[in-house]
Amino acid sequence: MENKQVKFFDRVKKNDYYLKWIKSPFTYVTAAVLLSLFQIVTLAATGNPWGVSGVFAYWGAWVYEAIGGSVDKWYYFASSGAQATLENGFLNHAGTFRNLGIIFGALAATLLASGFKIKKIKSKKQIIAATLGGLLMGYGARLAAGCNIGALYSGIASLSLSGWVFAIGMFFGAIVGSKLLVKYFM
Amino acid sequence: MKEVMLDCYGEACPVPLVKAQNKLNELELGDVLIVQIDHSCAMKNVPEWARKEGYNVEVEEVDDGEWEVIIEKNK
Repeated sequence: MENKQVKFFDRVKKNDYYLKWIKSPFTYVTAAVLLSLFQIVTLAATGNPWGVSGVFAYWGAWVYEAIGGSVDKWYYFASSGAQATLENGFLNHAGTFRNLGIIFGALAATLLASGFKIKKIKSKKQIIAATLGGLLMGYGARLAAGCNIGALYSGIASLSLSGWVFAIGMFFGAIVGSKLLVKYFM
Repeated sequence: MKEVMLDCYGEACPVPLVKAQNKLNELELGDVLIVQIDHSCAMKNVPEWARKEGYNVEVEEVDDGEWEVIIEKNK
């Protein structure tokens, strides 16, 4: 029995369709077209353009409320829409499921391509950079009322000028970021 | 004709690419650089850059989620 199974997976490993569709990464163009199609589906199904980081603010609020805190008086959650979202909870939030879908979808893609690996942390510098970068990105995304998905991608997709302004800012930010990276990380 | 290993395990993009570019500059004609990576996007951008530069490139999957990009400085 075991022998047979090994043979099956050995066969799959060499299968042309497996190699083409599951194993090797899509080209940037293919991925871009797929993302564009699915963000239209997202807009049609949920009534809101695609966003990612805003959901994490709600996750944070739910965690904070779960341990006894209250965000009722916070300016960020002051709108009636935000209050309603918080009231309806985790399980009734479309964005939550979309983000979970991204996380589990990415995991599935990695596993199917047998590329899963728990990576080692190489240096303290990596921890500091990741923590600092994460905090800055999260904080910045909330100040800007959107991240590179909600503000940039969905902004431009809905023909809003703000998306292009965001793009210009991000472009120069990325230049500064790359310089810092080469200076401190090489 | 040296063979140089460049350990980029645990490094995220674009660190492996920049390290590979710097290392290859130090090498002599005919040397071979082996970049060890475990970040799937480096498996795309490192070979892409090296091929664009006109070097001979081979990618080998050494383990689950681990690759070696073998670049020959042939010019």
